[in-house]
Amino acid sequence: MPEAPGPGVAFALGHEVAGEDAPPRRAPDWLLLGAALLIALLLAAPLLLGADPLAQELGARNAPPSPDLWFGRDNLGRDVFARIVAGGRITLVIAAGAALLSLLLGAGLGLAALTLGPWAAGPVYALFDLVRAMPSILLALSLLVALGGGVGPVIVALGLSFAPMMALLARAAWLREREAGYVEAAIAAGGAPWIVLRRHVLPNVTGVLVTQMAIVLPRCVTSESVLSFLGLGVPPEVPTWGRMIAASLPFVERAPHAMAAPAIALGVLTLVLALAGDRLRKRLDPYRKGT
Amino acid sequence: MGRALPVILRQLGTALAVVLVVFVLVRTIPGDAIDVLGIEGDLTEEEMADRRSELGLDRPWLAQFRLWAGAALEGDLGLSLRFNRPVSEMLLYAAPSTLTLASLSLLLGVTLALVLAVGAAVFPSGILPGLVQAVNVWSIAVPTFVVGLASILVFSVWLGWLPVRGQMLSPVLILALDMAGQIAKPLHEELKEVAASPFIRTARAKGLGRLVIVLRHVLPNAAGVLASMTGLVLGGLVGGALTMEVLFGLPGLGTIAFQAIAGRDYPVVQAVIAVFAVGVIAANLAADLAHRWADPRVGRDGVG
Repeated sequence: MPEAPGPGVAFALGHEVAGEDAPPRRAPDWLLLGAALLIALLLAAPLLLGADPLAQELGARNAPPSPDLWFGRDNLGRDVFARIVAGGRITLVIAAGAALLSLLLGAGLGLAALTLGPWAAGPVYALFDLVRAMPSILLALSLLVALGGGVGPVIVALGLSFAPMMALLARAAWLREREAGYVEAAIAAGGAPWIVLRRHVLPNVTGVLVTQMAIVLPRCVTSESVLSFLGLGVPPEVPTWGRMIAASLPFVERAPHAMAAPAIALGVLTLVLALAGDRLRKRLDPYRKGT
Repeated sequence: MGRALPVILRQLGTALAVVLVVFVLVRTIPGDAIDVLGIEGDLTEEEMADRRSELGLDRPWLAQFRLWAGAALEGDLGLSLRFNRPVSEMLLYAAPSTLTLASLSLLLGVTLALVLAVGAAVFPSGILPGLVQAVNVWSIAVPTFVVGLASILVFSVWLGWLPVRGQMLSPVLILALDMAGQIAKPLHEELKEVAASPFIRTARAKGLGRLVIVLRHVLPNAAGVLASMTGLVLGGLVGGALTMEVLFGLPGLGTIAFQAIAGRDYPVVQAVIAVFAVGVIAANLAADLAHRWADPRVGRDGVG
């Protein structure tokens, strides 16, 4: 299959004269730009915004949206918009932490065990199979029951439940790289397993794994929201979308805005992240070029 | 069936390991069940110690596990601390709701996936291939939790067609569509791949109709993918069903599990998680065996 030269190749092949602006122009990817902008906004907004997500205005419980208060107030008279903004940041931080942890734990441990040899890879992958056998929500539930709530435990619980997926992917990528001639050559030339892993396998596997992380990220956002909806996530005083939904569900007929706002926020964030992750995979995954 | 035995043994081992892990996890929670009762019921230290030895909670974990597992195999899952009722009775009461929800969604989801994928294979130039793609993107990008919330807002609050709590129509449709989206695309791709093989060209050459070819020759060869994909999405279905139960206020195992977690009713938590783990593993085993039965190539020569 003739491979289209990537941007790096074009850059390396005789654009010395053109210098900095040599890379071929691509139409700007509005989806990826939008996703990046949304993430940046959610992370920065609590700093820019003065409103207190915890302040209660008990006289104005379930107040409907108005020009001053875009999303109205919830059942305790708290500003829904301020809570959405505060909750989005926490959710994103947890999801990013969990995705990163699943990468380190799944791919890191998996690749290390594979490099050490079958005696290490066997038990490690048996363990991952065991974790995979449990529905991830039940796994997260039992872990959270054991660890107690809090940001750290939620990250650990989610990271652990997505780790087996990363480990399987790492193994698939690793097996594919092993078949590649240059890896065989490096081993035949007497390269120590760790050097081969670091110099030859890792650089080729990283792209696949990092894109997979982008695909796991929206799933972590949803899982975090479901967990805090079920009352198992971060402590009750921390505003999260899941908790906002759970708190406003009993009043949904009287004050639908208090549930609609976090539900729509969650829907939009996961949709944008999922589409952006898929786009990223199509752009970066070398094995999927052209699909 | 000789080749299936190792698979069954391995899945049994996994089930046992999962149950053991949950058992130990529940035991590591600071403050055991008796502490909870003690605070609420004003028990003295001695009374609490008595209750502990009565329930065997002062013994080593492994001994406790042997005791619990032995009783569990006879159908005795202990007493709920909250309701002072046998846990098995509570689970039996709640199980039909969860089983109905899960099996209806599974049935509808697989049927939908089959219709979409086969239809797309028979009419490749129609709208069905696009629909397969669309449903797939839907199930990847839109979580069932969000769809559930949207359905409550739109159909219950806004339009008033369905009650907010206690109806099973929306959760079944939501879960089925999610499953169909995950299964239909790989199934469609497998159908296309099989359809490109020489024996299909032969079938076409001898004058068989398109529908007959797909149903008689292509589908049986793609059945393995259907079975294994169904097994793969089952774990997600269980998680989705649990969330849906709580969201739509259905009196099933999920609702019981979360009430038990909130109320620190450990015997119930442990039993529900164990039941689910065993259920999912049994379903995986069934899917694996179905895959082997549908596709005899699997498991031979180290394939699969």
